[in-house]
Amino acid sequence: MPRGQKSKLRARAKRCQGRSETKGLGGAQATAAEEENSPSSASPLLGDRSQNLPTAGTRSTPKSPQRAAGVSCADSNEGANSQNEESSDESYCEDPLNEKVVLLVEFLLRKYQAKEPITKADMLKSVIKNKKYQFPEILKRASEHMELAFGIDLKEVDPIRHCYTFVNKLDLTADDMVIDEENTPKTGLLMIVLAVIFKKGNCATEEEVWKVLNLMGVYAGKKHSIYGEPKKVLTQELVQMKYLEYRQVPNSDPPRYEFLWGPRARVETSKMKVLEFLAKVHDTTPSAFPSCYEEAMKDEEERARARIEARARSSAMATARAKAKPSSSSCPK
Amino acid sequence: MQCSTRRMGIMTDVHRRFLQLLMTHGVLEEQAVKRLQKHCYKVHDRNAAVEKLEDFINNINSVLESLYIEVKKGVTEDDGRPVYALVNLATTSISKMASDFAENELDLFRKALELIIDSESGFASSTNILNLVDQLKGKKMRKKEAEQVLQKFVQNKWLIEKEGEFTLHSRAILEMEQYIRETYPDSVKMCNICHSLLIQGQSCETCGIRMHLPCVAKYFQSNSEPRCPHCNDYWPHEIPEIFNPEKEREAGISTSNKKSLRSRQH
Repeated sequence: MPRGQKSKLRARAKRCQGRSETKGLGGAQATAAEEENSPSSASPLLGDRSQNLPTAGTRSTPKSPQRAAGVSCADSNEGANSQNEESSDESYCEDPLNEKVVLLVEFLLRKYQAKEPITKADMLKSVIKNKKYQFPEILKRASEHMELAFGIDLKEVDPIRHCYTFVNKLDLTADDMVIDEENTPKTGLLMIVLAVIFKKGNCATEEEVWKVLNLMGVYAGKKHSIYGEPKKVLTQELVQMKYLEYRQVPNSDPPRYEFLWGPRARVETSKMKVLEFLAKVHDTTPSAFPSCYEEAMKDEEERARARIEARARSSAMATARAKAKPSSSSCPK
Repeated sequence: MQCSTRRMGIMTDVHRRFLQLLMTHGVLEEQAVKRLQKHCYKVHDRNAAVEKLEDFINNINSVLESLYIEVKKGVTEDDGRPVYALVNLATTSISKMASDFAENELDLFRKALELIIDSESGFASSTNILNLVDQLKGKKMRKKEAEQVLQKFVQNKWLIEKEGEFTLHSRAILEMEQYIRETYPDSVKMCNICHSLLIQGQSCETCGIRMHLPCVAKYFQSNSEPRCPHCNDYWPHEIPEIFNPEKEREAGISTSNKKSLRSRQH
């Protein structure tokens, strides 16, 4: 079995530790190495983090055809001698913060995907730990990586409480979401459910949704000629495709569930479009549902405003980039 | 050796958009990845020639390397479709799931994972998983709730459900292979052909070696007398067909190509 990533990492860390003579760091790493082999039963976020340090640049990986993502010449360095590691070690050691930067980027990416706000306290507790005084430097470097690799900016929104938020420099639209699946005939079913959710104040219980569907002859557990098994479509497929959110009603006992619009529905359609659909079904016009109509109108205004702002932002960035650097396509690899 | 580990690729908004969207989806099949790549070019660089996918990804990975992040390619275990996911190599744990799930839910996943790894077929029955509900850490969870949590795992592409049994989604295999190999070194199964983690596959009844279904398909391709690569005994199982994207596009015309093994779970 090829030398594991972790053992290479430990060896490298020990070499680095020896050179920099930071006893405190050494202590932490030694215990980390000891604990490492026991399957972590601690919180996966904190417990495992302390045990896992980033691997050395030359990674050993199973030589499987499945690994198409060629990591430059890592594989050809496989049998490589410590000589190679020594030279890259030096640059690594000049950079003892590197490990924390890498872990912070991972942490930030997770927070970004979960759409959760971040605080300095959070970052200190989960990632930075014993390197508290170097927090600004670590954060700066992590932010630079986020921007360079992902186009995601980290902005401090509250300098007193040290709260941060993410700003996506790329403008994601409906077009971006329609990538992964073949055409679905479930659109009709989806529109109905979105309409029910909207009508019920943007959140509908499962019972409310089934009540409406039953009226149309669609029943949970009963396979439908067009839609397939409706419960599976609603609670799995459409959720997986991010059109719907399906969650437990908070504090419900026995557990009951509710539906909300998913992020993709919010991007691909709008309250107004759903209302228009609903109106057609009832053979009337959107204004026949006054409170919904008002909400849909507000939603349309906000969307228009957001579109204008985004366009202004991206054209400003485009001109700035065009002025700032030479054409990237001419850079050799 | 002056290493091209230092060869840095160039990141443009094409690559950044690609990464963001790949991250959003968790895992994508190759056809979808190609569509995604073309789409990103269309948005940012209409006139540029679309780079070959493998080079495009290698370019991205060379930039991400210093962050211990990688666009990793895998293959679905049941029908050999290539899939891609953005994988973090700095931490080996199920921390990727930590932001979406509570402590007891993560523990349920670990229990299901253990059952899946220990099983012969690579599947754990719903009943067996739910029976472990009393052993979970954190807040007490009832079986009814646990059923819903399992569905949440399916929705988020961590597990696949097939007739009341659960196995790992290709996303979980890609993201957690390292974690699984380190946490269950004794019970983890490996494929004799590609030497990576095996959850579902075929095994030799004589010597016990195992192979992924797509690995079997490739290894025994047009071999009328398939024999075990290890002990040379007759290979007793049906040889599946290799996934062929061309045939898939003609789907509906010829159903004889589709084996019952295929289930469009991915």
